[in-house]
Amino acid sequence: MRRTRAVRMRVYFMLAWTVLLASCGGAAPNLHVLEKPKNVDMIVKMNHGDFWKTVKMGAEVAAKEYNVNLTFKAPQNESDIDEQIRLVDESIKNNADAIILSASDYMRLAQVTDRAAYYKIPVISMDSEVASARITTFVGTNNYEAGQKAAERLIKLTGPESRIGVMNFVRGAKNADEREEGFMDYVARFPGVEVVDIEYCESDEQIARQLTRKMMKEHPDISGIVALNEVASIGTAEEIQELGYGGKVKIITFDSPAKVMELLQEGIVQGTVIQNPFNNGYLAVQYAVQVMEGIEVKEREDTKSRLIDLDNMLRPDNQKLLFPFVK
Amino acid sequence: MKLPRIRVSFKLRSIQTIITVSFTLMTILVVVAVSFMLYNKFTKTAEENAYLNIQQIIEQVNYHLELYVKGMQDIYEVVEEQINDTQDISSPVLREQLTTLLHTREDLVSVGLFTPGGKLVLDNPDLEMRKNTMLEEQSWFESAHDQPQKLSFSAPHIQNLYKGQYKWVVSLSRMIKYKDHGISKEGILLVDVNFRTIDELSRKVSLGKRGYAYIIDDLGNIVYHPQQQLIYAGLKYENLEPVFEYAFGSYIDKSTGEPRYITIRTVEPIKWKIVGVAYPDEIVTTKKDLNQFVFWFLLVVCAAVVVLAMFVSAKISQPLRRLEKSVQSVGQGDFNTPIHVSGAHEVVQLSKRFNFMLHRIRQLMDQIIHEQEAKRKSELDVLQSQINPHFLYNTLNSVIRLAEKGKKEEIVATITSLSKFFRISLSKGKNIITLEEELEHVRHYLIIQKIRFKNKFSYAIECEDLALSCRTLKLILQPIVENAIYHGIEKMSDEGLIRISASIQGDRLVIKVSDNGLGMTRQVMDQLLIGGNRSSGSGVGVKNVNERIRLYYGKNYGLSFESELEEGTTVTITLPVEKYDDEQQERGMA
Repeated sequence: MRRTRAVRMRVYFMLAWTVLLASCGGAAPNLHVLEKPKNVDMIVKMNHGDFWKTVKMGAEVAAKEYNVNLTFKAPQNESDIDEQIRLVDESIKNNADAIILSASDYMRLAQVTDRAAYYKIPVISMDSEVASARITTFVGTNNYEAGQKAAERLIKLTGPESRIGVMNFVRGAKNADEREEGFMDYVARFPGVEVVDIEYCESDEQIARQLTRKMMKEHPDISGIVALNEVASIGTAEEIQELGYGGKVKIITFDSPAKVMELLQEGIVQGTVIQNPFNNGYLAVQYAVQVMEGIEVKEREDTKSRLIDLDNMLRPDNQKLLFPFVK
Repeated sequence: MKLPRIRVSFKLRSIQTIITVSFTLMTILVVVAVSFMLYNKFTKTAEENAYLNIQQIIEQVNYHLELYVKGMQDIYEVVEEQINDTQDISSPVLREQLTTLLHTREDLVSVGLFTPGGKLVLDNPDLEMRKNTMLEEQSWFESAHDQPQKLSFSAPHIQNLYKGQYKWVVSLSRMIKYKDHGISKEGILLVDVNFRTIDELSRKVSLGKRGYAYIIDDLGNIVYHPQQQLIYAGLKYENLEPVFEYAFGSYIDKSTGEPRYITIRTVEPIKWKIVGVAYPDEIVTTKKDLNQFVFWFLLVVCAAVVVLAMFVSAKISQPLRRLEKSVQSVGQGDFNTPIHVSGAHEVVQLSKRFNFMLHRIRQLMDQIIHEQEAKRKSELDVLQSQINPHFLYNTLNSVIRLAEKGKKEEIVATITSLSKFFRISLSKGKNIITLEEELEHVRHYLIIQKIRFKNKFSYAIECEDLALSCRTLKLILQPIVENAIYHGIEKMSDEGLIRISASIQGDRLVIKVSDNGLGMTRQVMDQLLIGGNRSSGSGVGVKNVNERIRLYYGKNYGLSFESELEEGTTVTITLPVEKYDDEQQERGMA
């Protein structure tokens, strides 16, 4: 008797409660916004440079929007792969809820990535990939395509009969390899175009300068150079200007540091392939949130690359991409 | 402490249940209604406050921006004035003045004067111009050309004119007049203001965790947006159409799926619009908290109410239940337990009345018992009085018979005994006499009967001396002896013997009347004291004796029979030992 009574009371109560709640109109929960903040570690290649600062900005915007505690980590140098491995390990130890990794080395970061996956920490690959099957999703430029874009413009400038050089950054970095591959594959269509030199500057401006000087010394007939990342671009373009080849040697660069933009306006650099570092950062965090919430995500998100030249650099939508507010 | 009892007495229609349920339901209903109303009021107020807050924040940003823009306008005027006042545009005094001015304001990036054809006339700070500036195509140049009188504000853009940094600036431009070596010329004056201040003003706006503010110009272009790149990339969408329509106001926008609270203010001098975007579900986190609070509050209140209701109802119904139990026991025939008088006024009254009623019932019952007893006694007295005339009639008949036969001596003996018999029978109307008198009385009876029955039997009376003075009811032996004569001896062929003996055994006075007559069967014996049929008159006598003894002395006393056919019968009378004195006799009469 008591139980039936109790049940009856409970039913009444629940009814009253439902009415109460229904009338208050609870908002449908937005799946994308985390109820409780989660810790996401973003580990990139280098702790300086406009590119990475813009990535960080994008990530921070998303972190604010989705209620994420973002920790931004990077080694001093892009070539310091051991340090990057250590940083990933540290994130695993600190039990991050998700890791966003921009791997400096495609192969060497694979093991630690698998380890993170073993500890059930989802790893989102951003900007450049890593050789792990446990990667949840990749956010970044289609680097092969970007390489092809650069080649297309450079050959248009130098003509189908020319000798060109390549200034790459870190051998083994997936995006470096892909850009180079894209570039070389496009060049291969032109039998008259010869790639006379491929150098790796280790993402060091001084090394890039030295290598450029060496390249020009060894191959004075070079009519075009492609520099495959931000640091390589600055070093190469400035060295070419200094050597007095400005305008004569056509240069296609990657990314848009202020120095390169200056040189673009000066006519030293003829074009630059830009990525969307802001979107890379933003989307990486957004996907990290989706993965943590168990929402399915795309395997790859191509944040489009664009070729910027003197004609389109001042278009309002390009301005935002080229000149971020970096404090 | 009361709980076990409560559990036991939980019946569906009991007062306790009714009180508990109704009390609980009522309280819960009231609590729910009140919480509902308060909840609505609270959330509404909280929401309104939150929205008001947002409006105020945007208002403030707007105010600062207006102030800032006005400041920029003022500076522009100052620069223009200085140029106007100078006769020669290339004078070093002007240059110095401008340098000073530029130093006073941190956010002033550069001042430049251009010919309508786009040639540089004057710039400050003195910097090298870049190549490929394409300044004729830039918006500030075009708008100065198109609207020469109006000071135009450009959207934020990259300052690409001078070497050095690429800075985000807002350009103020207008066609002005200047004097070159005394000759008045037209030129476009450009003042570039660092966009950082505007950016910071807008960036600092925090509308909840995810809320933000953005700015659009009078043409609907986005001037500032914290996520401008996302918008360009198509990852983010702002519903600008309604924003463009409003100059001032707030509304809920649902174009992105999620409801967003939009607040719009216009920066007057330049017609820019500041748009605050806030997420209501975030603003009203208080709602969620409140929700939870109300839930637990209700739960606790309900639990408390149930317990309280059970306790109170138990307390209220307890005296009623006690009363019910008492009434029940009364119903089962127990009139003696008084009813507890405690609890609520009504219950007390009820109990009192019930007690009073019980008392009355008990009185009435006692009265009835008394009346019945009295009636019985009078009935017995009537019966007793009937014995005598019957006996007298018989005896006188025998005397007549003796007289006819001329047996003088026997007549004398008979009449003497008869006279003594009646004297003791009367015994001054007393009911209680001594055993001695009673024995005397029966002896005279036996003498008369012996004469009547022509010595068909003999008798013997034995009595302990101590027993002689014991009290006894009058006329208890005579009916038994009469019985023995008529039923035991009369039809016997041999001579009969009747023995009467009395003795004290403990606290009992035992009188035995035995005969050696026919005896009787057990059935007859059993019938004797019940006295089913009154037809054989003498049976009534024995029963009468027994009843009288019991009436006077209680159920422990009375007659018992032993009988064997052809052997005889012994009747034992048991009485309490009571010594005779006058006072006691009076009590016996009562």
